[in-house]
Amino acid sequence: MINADLVSIWLSDARFRLRAVFRRAAVERELDDELRFHLDRETEKNVRAGVDRTEASRRARVAFGGVDRVKEDTRDARGVRVLEMIVRDLRYAIRGLRAHPGFTLAVVATLALGIGANTAMFGIVDRLMFRPLAYLRDPGSVNRVYLHYDFRGKPEIAHNFEYRRYLDFASDTKSFSQHAAVYTGSFAVGTGEDVRETTVAVVSASYFGFFDAHPVIGRFFNHQEDSLPAGTPVVVLGQTLWKTRYGSRTDVLGQQLQVGAMHATIIGVAPEGFNGPDPTKPATAFIPITAYAYPVDSTYYMYYHWGWAEMMVRRKPGITTTAATADLTNAYAISWTRERALDPDLPTASLAHPRVILAPMQLSRGPDAGQDAKVVLWIGGVAAIVLLIACANVANLLLGRALRRRREIAVRLALGVTRRRLMAQLLVESVLLALLGGVAGILVGQAGAGLLRTLFVPQGDAIGLIADRRTLLFAACVAIIAGVLTGLVPALHAAGEDLVTALKAGVREGTHQRSRTRSALLLAQGALSVFLLVGAALFVRSLNNVASLRLGYDVDPVLHVGRVLRGTKLSDDEKRVLSARLLDAATAIPGVEHASLTLSVPFWDTESKGFFVPGIDSVQRLGQFTVHVASQDYFATMGTRILRGRGFEATDRAGAPLVVVVSEGAASALWPGRNPIGQCMKMKSDTMPCTTVVGVAENIRQESLTDDGQRLQYYLPFEQLAPTRGSLLLRARGDSRTIAETVRRRLQPLMPGTSYITVTPMRDIVDPALASWRMGATMFTLFGVLALTLAAIGLYSVIAYDVAQRTHELGLRVALGAHASDVLRLVVKEGMRYALAGIVIGAAIALAAAPWVQPLLFGETARDPLVFAVVAAILVVVAAAASAVPGWRATRVDPSVALRTE
Amino acid sequence: MTDAADPNRLELPQGTLDLLILKALSLEPQHGWAISERIRQVSSAALQIPQGSLYPALHRLERRGWIKARWGESDNNRRAKFYELTRTGRHQLDEETDAWRRLTLAVRLVLDMR
Repeated sequence: MINADLVSIWLSDARFRLRAVFRRAAVERELDDELRFHLDRETEKNVRAGVDRTEASRRARVAFGGVDRVKEDTRDARGVRVLEMIVRDLRYAIRGLRAHPGFTLAVVATLALGIGANTAMFGIVDRLMFRPLAYLRDPGSVNRVYLHYDFRGKPEIAHNFEYRRYLDFASDTKSFSQHAAVYTGSFAVGTGEDVRETTVAVVSASYFGFFDAHPVIGRFFNHQEDSLPAGTPVVVLGQTLWKTRYGSRTDVLGQQLQVGAMHATIIGVAPEGFNGPDPTKPATAFIPITAYAYPVDSTYYMYYHWGWAEMMVRRKPGITTTAATADLTNAYAISWTRERALDPDLPTASLAHPRVILAPMQLSRGPDAGQDAKVVLWIGGVAAIVLLIACANVANLLLGRALRRRREIAVRLALGVTRRRLMAQLLVESVLLALLGGVAGILVGQAGAGLLRTLFVPQGDAIGLIADRRTLLFAACVAIIAGVLTGLVPALHAAGEDLVTALKAGVREGTHQRSRTRSALLLAQGALSVFLLVGAALFVRSLNNVASLRLGYDVDPVLHVGRVLRGTKLSDDEKRVLSARLLDAATAIPGVEHASLTLSVPFWDTESKGFFVPGIDSVQRLGQFTVHVASQDYFATMGTRILRGRGFEATDRAGAPLVVVVSEGAASALWPGRNPIGQCMKMKSDTMPCTTVVGVAENIRQESLTDDGQRLQYYLPFEQLAPTRGSLLLRARGDSRTIAETVRRRLQPLMPGTSYITVTPMRDIVDPALASWRMGATMFTLFGVLALTLAAIGLYSVIAYDVAQRTHELGLRVALGAHASDVLRLVVKEGMRYALAGIVIGAAIALAAAPWVQPLLFGETARDPLVFAVVAAILVVVAAAASAVPGWRATRVDPSVALRTE
Repeated sequence: MTDAADPNRLELPQGTLDLLILKALSLEPQHGWAISERIRQVSSAALQIPQGSLYPALHRLERRGWIKARWGESDNNRRAKFYELTRTGRHQLDEETDAWRRLTLAVRLVLDMR
């Protein structure tokens, strides 16, 4: 009741004030009428008392007091003075901006570029780093669990670990009120024609308890459906899948949907925006983690051999991160001992120092965040710099305008307008401009968002970048800050203006010493542009270095063909036969030069198995060995060079002498200074017969582009191991993309049941590893060019303004016999001074930032003199061009006209 | 004759103007001039609202929602702006009257002290 009263009072107050502001004329007229009525009645009263009319009217007015003062007081009583003033300033500003459309357009466009770049970048940075998962309750108490241990003296960090470890942590800790195991994977969803490879969230039933989300229909799965060991095959659909595949029909509940190898029953539909644990890979469906893991490996919950699950926890109230970390680290030590009981080869805990790190859920903020995350932050910073440059430009334009309006401003000051009012007016004007720029900026950001999305969140195509509250709020804040920043300079300038000089000065005088602020702004622009361009050049060169890096195999001609078996029960022999048939069919495809079977693909997976070498105690201590199982044509297919001995041959088949090819790195680690050919390796156990080294292959990079030499490879012939799994690698003549479709068409008919073929060019597999450099190169270049353009416009406008101011002087020079080239040189020299100073300062900033930029580069020093020289040259050329245009115009000045202008 | 010269005139204590206006409007809607006349008459000319502060006060009260205004015909058939109490205004009047009574009572008690 009281609340309702308060609201109604507030509403009537607001209505009254609004009417007072926006119907100002009507309100004023009413006040006039009201007061006149009062005076008339008072006069009549006096007349009735016997005073003559003139005297009666005079007395009435005396009794009333000054009419204007009463009016003023009444206006005050309406409580709208500030509002009224703002509205008046707004009207004034709008009139002013409409009178100068060119100026307005320049300012709005400049701000739009700055604000747009930031809005778009904010969308990315926010999503990758800051925004908590949708519906997540109390995000501050939720952490992701990372393992940290030393491996061969080097620290390793992992966020994927064994499901068994998750069980250990869950049972051996007391700090957490909730924990969930999650995994985000790519699965074939659907059957037949409808089958699509999409992202699916594999989660424990406890996952849903972290959120305030409710299924739109049906329900989430419960602990019975996620029970050990095998769970129940059920699936919760995401909104996208529900809408696109089922047209939002409610009768989907109870229907069957094939997810990977699982025939699942649909039990519910998740709400909009509920996209699983990884915001960069929005999930289309949710399945129980036990139901997924059991068919993959039925011992997944007993042993520590398959690290894949991720863990999220919610700390109990009052438990600090430090305390929770200690609790988990303790649990890890217990778990480590348990693992060691199963696998005596594991180093002791005192050697490996296992400990746990708790970090925010976002992988980009975790301790093992990739280079990409750092580059994204850098680019966010770069966007901010672009905005600064834009602001400097706008401030410069506004200042130029303020200088042109000096006399107007001085007159208004002389007429009694307070400086505070004047500043307020200038600020209102610039904030209005900034808001216009903000609106345009959001449109620019929307347009740029598409580009950014493909660069940063390739899988996040379900993400709308701009149309959400956080981003819009951000854009609005940026616009207002930009408005105040840009308005402050001319406003302070106006406030500090000396009245008398300003009034006395002609348009001509007094501008040169006054342009110091403008020079400073111009220098800042130039310097920041240099900084960004240096960054751009460094990233471009890094990208080139990375792209031309020899990986130990060719990328473009290689095509990977995966097979996914579904809806069929094949015996081991049948699987082997299928592999062989696929290999034969692939070899026969025109355009395929070589084809090979393999078990692992660089950048996708690595496999390691224990082996023994006579005379060496522990092979493990010499390095991290990975095994590659490959058929005869493997080295030819990949383009991996055999340096000594031979590759695999047709004779290396089952029953023939066992052979192995080792990488150069492996050879020198195992048999330093000796000939590796003919050496003996014993697979699995030291009682096995010798596998003889027959060749040495070049090293390959298989995890990241920078991991040169960290992993050591050896190769075993596919035919001698005869595994039941296996995928194909093909080598095309030229680009493998050209044969991708043919390969799919030719091989798909060989697949039994609902099984299918996946075709992936090697380029697509390697490319994500290039992402950080490509991102850096693209964005720095984009923003660098933007910055340079803005700086050039700024320089141009300042020089043009100066030239206009100096028309008289230049005219005089021409009249005194100066040549056009002299005048041009005079003006361009002015521009050059700015450019050179900007280059020096910008280069200094870039050198100072070098230590932080260096780790993001590849094969390139952050102090590359060539880069600095090229950037300096670019700036000089652009500055020369930007000042030559007004300079050229100055040469066309007709002295007789110029001398006559004021 | 100026108001200040009148020996029977009382200075209006701070904050009572609003109360007087509300009271004057409690019987029937009035226009501004009538409000000042009524207060003068009822108080036997001892209280004279300074006319210059009447209108700011009226607009302030209107903004607070205690009174509302509408245009109507005055007794001499002229258009005049009439003010009337709103529901919250009446409530406010009760409260302020009450507060005033308690205040004056307390002041009298102190002054009557022997």
